[in-house]
Amino acid sequence: MVVGAGLVACGGGGDSSTPTLTWYTNPDNGGQEDLANQCTDAAEGAYRIEISELPSDADSQREQLVRRLAANDSSIDLMSLDPVFVPEFAEAGFLRSFSDDEASTLTQDVLDGAVTTSTWNDELVAAPFWANTQLLWYRRSVAEQAGLDPENQPVTWDQIIGAAEQTGTTVDVTGARYEGYMVWINSLVASAGGQILEDPAAGKDATPTLDTDAGRSAADIIRRVGRDVAAPGLSTAIEEDARAAFQSDDGGFMVNWPYVYGAMLAAVEDGSLDQSVVDDIGWARVPRVDEGTESAPPLGGINIGIGAFGKHQDLAVEAVNCITSEDSQKAYMLAEGNPAAKSAVFDDPEIIEKFPMADLIRTSIDQATPRPQSPYYPDISAATVREFHPPASVNPDSTPRNADDLIVNVLQDKQLL
Amino acid sequence: MRSSRNRLLWAVGGLVIIVYTMIPVAWIVSLSFKKGDDINNQKFLPTEWSWDNYRTVFDTDLFTSALRNSVGISLIATVISVTLATFAAYAIARLNFRGKKLVLSTALAIAMFPTVALVGPLFDMWRGLGIYDTWLGLIIPYMSFTLPLSIWTLSAFFREIPWEMEQAAQVDGATPWQAFRKVIVPLAAPGVFTAAILTFFFAWNDFVFGISLTATDRSRPVPAALAFFTGESFFQQPTAAISAAAVIVTIPVIALVLVFQRKIVAGLTSGAVKG
Amino acid sequence: MTTITADAPTGTTPPPAGRAPAGLSDRARSEQRLGWYLVAPAVATMLLVTAYPLGRAVYLSLFSYRLTDPGAREFVGLRNYSVVLTDGLWWQTVFTTLFITVVTVAVELVIGFAFALVMHRIVFGRRTVRTAILIPYGIITVVAAYAWQYAFALDSGFVNQWFGLGDKAWFSDRWSALAVIILAEIWKTTPFISLLLLAGLAQVPEDLQEAAKVDGATTWQRFIRVTVPNMKAAIMVALLFRTLDAYRIFDTIFIMTNGAEKTESVSFLTYRQTITRTALGLGSALSVLLFLSVALIAFVFVKGFRTDLSRVRGD
Repeated sequence: MVVGAGLVACGGGGDSSTPTLTWYTNPDNGGQEDLANQCTDAAEGAYRIEISELPSDADSQREQLVRRLAANDSSIDLMSLDPVFVPEFAEAGFLRSFSDDEASTLTQDVLDGAVTTSTWNDELVAAPFWANTQLLWYRRSVAEQAGLDPENQPVTWDQIIGAAEQTGTTVDVTGARYEGYMVWINSLVASAGGQILEDPAAGKDATPTLDTDAGRSAADIIRRVGRDVAAPGLSTAIEEDARAAFQSDDGGFMVNWPYVYGAMLAAVEDGSLDQSVVDDIGWARVPRVDEGTESAPPLGGINIGIGAFGKHQDLAVEAVNCITSEDSQKAYMLAEGNPAAKSAVFDDPEIIEKFPMADLIRTSIDQATPRPQSPYYPDISAATVREFHPPASVNPDSTPRNADDLIVNVLQDKQLL
Repeated sequence: MRSSRNRLLWAVGGLVIIVYTMIPVAWIVSLSFKKGDDINNQKFLPTEWSWDNYRTVFDTDLFTSALRNSVGISLIATVISVTLATFAAYAIARLNFRGKKLVLSTALAIAMFPTVALVGPLFDMWRGLGIYDTWLGLIIPYMSFTLPLSIWTLSAFFREIPWEMEQAAQVDGATPWQAFRKVIVPLAAPGVFTAAILTFFFAWNDFVFGISLTATDRSRPVPAALAFFTGESFFQQPTAAISAAAVIVTIPVIALVLVFQRKIVAGLTSGAVKG
Repeated sequence: MTTITADAPTGTTPPPAGRAPAGLSDRARSEQRLGWYLVAPAVATMLLVTAYPLGRAVYLSLFSYRLTDPGAREFVGLRNYSVVLTDGLWWQTVFTTLFITVVTVAVELVIGFAFALVMHRIVFGRRTVRTAILIPYGIITVVAAYAWQYAFALDSGFVNQWFGLGDKAWFSDRWSALAVIILAEIWKTTPFISLLLLAGLAQVPEDLQEAAKVDGATTWQRFIRVTVPNMKAAIMVALLFRTLDAYRIFDTIFIMTNGAEKTESVSFLTYRQTITRTALGLGSALSVLLFLSVALIAFVFVKGFRTDLSRVRGD
């Protein structure tokens, strides 16, 4: 049918003179778009970068990209990837990997955590853009009352749970049935010296190791928080809910991403939060599980991948270099509050002024433990969260083992998820 | 006396029906006029009526392209589907041929089909054929699933047509083509119209194919786009924008229903219920 | 029991007036050919999108196949089916779907009948009522789902205020979430069933009603003894269609809860395995099972309840 042929051929047009690179981004407050414009200007006509926004939650972002890349979509030049999706995309052949030269430029001065999540099979498959980690936020008055000094003396989960019980305050985390809960679970297991998967690179045949001492310790902490010291609604709490609980009169301790600091300052400015609350807040590295072992902060962020089917891959590499340059990262951090991936940015006086905890963030990112890097990550996350939810009902004797079994079954296609 | 009391009772029943059908519609209209934080005022009506949401929605590329896609895809699918159905219904109503029952049974079976069962294979097939995320990729399934309803509606209408009048006109001196155009077409037109409207409703309403067989605003229709609205900022719920968009896409439906109410009812009840 | 049908009898058409009875082989054969030519495009279109993809689904269901790991694809025979049929999640989903189906169809039957009676008898405002009742039918399902979701939502909803329910989180609990889903479904599809019933009502002969009235039957007795028995076929057809529609529920659940709190339906589960998890092998097995369960329901209605499908519109 002629009509059919016409319909098939319809699609986006662009400038035939200047190649357009389409950058698929997670929604933010315009920071990535600003970078796109700046880098377009810097390119001086070699290329243009256009932003296309993906849906707001990471799962939907992944779903969109996977379907289109599975259909060999050539219009995806650049994409902002959540680090947990990098192994899946790389293994499926969706990402163009970088040569050694390109890689050394892109990883120069980049914090370890961010490099780890951008690498697969010893190749750099995505460019570190910004990295994220969580901190322990606490009310100084509460800590003082309980005799703790997290800023100077590392605290353990036992200690803060005990402190919350003693002072009648809450420990606020994200316990809804979503990726944020997996972040917490993984961080606890890693802090206890264990890991969720023994060999994530084995893909389908990976062995889960939740049913170990480390996993059981983590489960125990989750249960105690959920049962004894959590705010009501923990089982549906996402980041904003945890922040709201922390800001309330009962708030004692919170583990959350650093964006909350900027958000709280903004709330004071528009009058919905009292300055005294913000003055009362302190921050430290996330709590330890064992007194003698350093805690393993969680790792997040965004890495920029180049689509394997795009038509302007060399130009895309140039664009990525511009987007992830030190200046770009600093500008993005100031605009959006998301920590840079390059170490030097944290020494900048402007940054330190806006983020007094900059150095702590940097150390945490550098020593963070990523979530399991597996091409089957979405399954592993969903299976773990399914067994561990709701937090108050976790049982250290059975939950880790059930989660292990479910993970194996799901990876082997022997159970529905 | 008694009969007028009865009439009053039935009229009250009618009022109940009207309230029943209109409350959710009134609610979403009311939501669409709520400004900013008013969305969460937890009352039925806005404290202050505002066109803000409509402005936002029309400024959004996501919505305007979805509207364009929906209109284009639905119209094209309707035209082709009704054409094919007309031929088939004509044959079923007028001709005697073996396999007629089989065709109707097939149509019945298709109408009962769970469309979700097809999204996996269709996604696989369409990306192989290169029509994933195109208008054609949606038009084809829409046609397939609207044909049964069209065929039934049209064969019911065609059965009512006195075909002998075509012969009579020819006896009176008209050519076969004139007889067809002047006599048959006006009689068949209402049925074709009804089938077209019912088909359009189906295509306009589809969600499953819309979310599975599209990826960008090149072909994403409105119901799928509604599910993809992001709010103005990362943390805001897109409730307001969705409500305005929802009202906009409901307007054609209400317009069609108002104008063609009688035909639609006749189509859905195969003519058993008159005016 | 008399059932007077208003439709034309099946399968025969009188020869055009003025011609002698047809010469059999030639004319019949060319009519046969013409008939097939005319229906062929429609039939081909219908089958293209259903038969072939279903065949592919059957084929894919024999593999363990993830779209993002094509290298690991392996043939597993019928294992996917045994995995699904022994999985608690599958049966829980089937239960949820059946629950929604039974409740919505039962309630709609009652309300639909009431509406049909009103539309049949009403004199004032007949056109307005008919128009109003078509609106839920025409409205996009997704739009209706959003409207009902926002009405019951904690932040934007008015239901909690109107009924003094304080902070009730309708979507945080399985049964209250299902209740809202069911309400939205009932609202949207009752018009359709009421129209089908209205068609049946219109065909109950008035003289039977009059005769019963003369015999002194009360309104209720007339309803039960005269109206309903004469509508049996129409009722069965309406039930068949609504049951199949309800069993296939997808849009409303996707919008309202996205399957959370154990509100997944069979269609939703299939979508999630196929599209979200890209587990095409397991997802295809689910597709086939979904198709078979719908076919089973249709079979039960046609053979078990002896639903007269010739009453289906147009035949």
